[in-house]
Amino acid sequence: MKYLRSQLLRPAMLGLLFGVGLAPGESLAAGSPDGKALYTERCGMCHQTIGMAVGILSRRPADASMGLLEERADLSAIFVRTVVRSGIANMPRMPRAEISDAELAAVATYLSRGKP
Amino acid sequence: MKLALPPGLSAAQLDRALRDFGRAVGDEWVLATDLDRDTYLDHFAVDESTHASSAAVAPLTVEQVQEVLRIANRHKVPLWPISRGKNFGYGGAAPLLKGSVVLDLSRMKKIDFDEENGVAVVEPGVGFYDLYDYIQQNKLPYWTSVPGNSWGSVLGNALDRGVGYTTYGQHTEKLCGLEVVLPSGELMRTGMGAMSGSPTWNLYRYGFGPSWEQMFVQSNYGVVTKAGVWLMPAPESMLGIDLELPNADDLGWAVDVVAAQRRDGLLQQSPSIGSWLRGAAVLTTRKEWYDKPDALPDDVIAAIRERFGIGWWSISLRLYGYEGVNEAQAAVIQKQFEKQTSQPIRISRWKQGEPLNPAPGQAAFAGVPITFPLANAAWHGGRGGHLGYSPVLPATGQAAMEQFRRTYDRYREFGMDYHGSFAMGERSIVNVNQVLFNKDDPEMMSRVNGFFRALVNDATEKRYGEYRTHIDYMDMVAATYDFNNGALLRANEAVKDAIDPNGILAPGKSGIWPKRYRHLRA
Repeated sequence: MKYLRSQLLRPAMLGLLFGVGLAPGESLAAGSPDGKALYTERCGMCHQTIGMAVGILSRRPADASMGLLEERADLSAIFVRTVVRSGIANMPRMPRAEISDAELAAVATYLSRGKP
Repeated sequence: MKLALPPGLSAAQLDRALRDFGRAVGDEWVLATDLDRDTYLDHFAVDESTHASSAAVAPLTVEQVQEVLRIANRHKVPLWPISRGKNFGYGGAAPLLKGSVVLDLSRMKKIDFDEENGVAVVEPGVGFYDLYDYIQQNKLPYWTSVPGNSWGSVLGNALDRGVGYTTYGQHTEKLCGLEVVLPSGELMRTGMGAMSGSPTWNLYRYGFGPSWEQMFVQSNYGVVTKAGVWLMPAPESMLGIDLELPNADDLGWAVDVVAAQRRDGLLQQSPSIGSWLRGAAVLTTRKEWYDKPDALPDDVIAAIRERFGIGWWSISLRLYGYEGVNEAQAAVIQKQFEKQTSQPIRISRWKQGEPLNPAPGQAAFAGVPITFPLANAAWHGGRGGHLGYSPVLPATGQAAMEQFRRTYDRYREFGMDYHGSFAMGERSIVNVNQVLFNKDDPEMMSRVNGFFRALVNDATEKRYGEYRTHIDYMDMVAATYDFNNGALLRANEAVKDAIDPNGILAPGKSGIWPKRYRHLRA
């Protein structure tokens, strides 16, 4: 399994989207949030590559396809919003200062592929 | 969670304070709905309700932090500052004093990088992933040092004396130059930063006269809004020395060997000698191995070790720097181990330009942020939780073995699975023990508090103190520092009353209570 974010993840993508050194909250306030980029930035540490949640979800229920949320077709937006604010199993809740309602909505839309 | 008011304040008084906070930071950054309050609970705590907040306020700038502190003084509202709130096992984002308003600094994410000197000046909201990505994006020739949970804040981790895996792993020792908002709202800088415009603020620690940097570490004397952090120049090479020790008793000689290597500088990194559960708790759950409530028996331990090909203890040493120097040091280190054991010693080599070892367990040695170790909280299935119990020992094999035996017996007595490691410092060992529990198992949960207290009491009897603890146990641990009838705590509280007369900042942190709330000491 590859894990280097430098090879796989944020840098190239974020460099284009946000510009180097921009505070993410600020950069997104003006336009409409990009769910995919936000997902990598705010959720990727646990939900991409070798993140904590990838490991746990991949073995429950013994189905490795559950681990990478971006590859799943069974997530609804309301479910994503709920678990982010209420926590679930090993996942702590995330406050609005860390991911605002608008940003969370964009992530939820991205992961649910538009399913409400 | 039901609204918990700060002690002595009415809902109307809190409301007036929140309105003033809103004027300072923008109303949308005063987070005071029921759901907002819940998001600051300690997800991994034994009892989340014990440390419920009444609201949160999330400033973006230093000036806003200053204004929030002034407002808190006017309204006598206790604040609990968090950097990113990911101090899991120690309280997460939750305040020690129930009803406190969380001062959430996670929006403050500026990074200033001095490429020539290898220093990042970071704000509290900068996480290890943020700093890592910044370095990668800008192709800077430096490596971060990351802890096992890299979701958290670079600055916050260093302020709680967190540790990482490389030679820069003692994070608090790599701080150089703090910017601090004092409880009055006044802004100050430590060390050379006390001279305005000094180019050496983040290069020389002490300045002139008393040096106050550690005063803001594990304390409640100020809100650190910027910190200089030294970073390791990207090494020409990295050399790994890994070995598995088959017997529990091997800990003794291994500690003596590594302690000597640390003392004489042969080894610059602090390796952790860890037991068999470390990997198993991350990669599997308990029910795969055992279905009874008592501690795992020896045959199950043997099965776990066999599946993962690990010893009772595992040691991983890493050398960083010039290839020739690493090779010379490794030869000496290897010879010292070979005098003690015939176990195979695995040597791994990496040079600039080569891909790093892609195994997850190797990432943090190269300063790549990780979160997967946190999966161990799910060991029991159900909603997991964990506590850390970490006394500091002298760096001798005898002390380590005695501490291990004492602790291991306690784990078995309370029916808990042993999860211990010995982090080798230059002159001491931090014996990190994780207590993993299942919040959905009331019978197990009824054992946790008594177990933790027994562990602390055992250490105290040997006059070993903890280096860090969960907010549930700060008073208990502070009380173990008892020289001259607790002279240190009295001094800490004299400072607290002088610097924070209204007691607004993090009451009870590290056992330090301001006069206003001193009667609440546990």
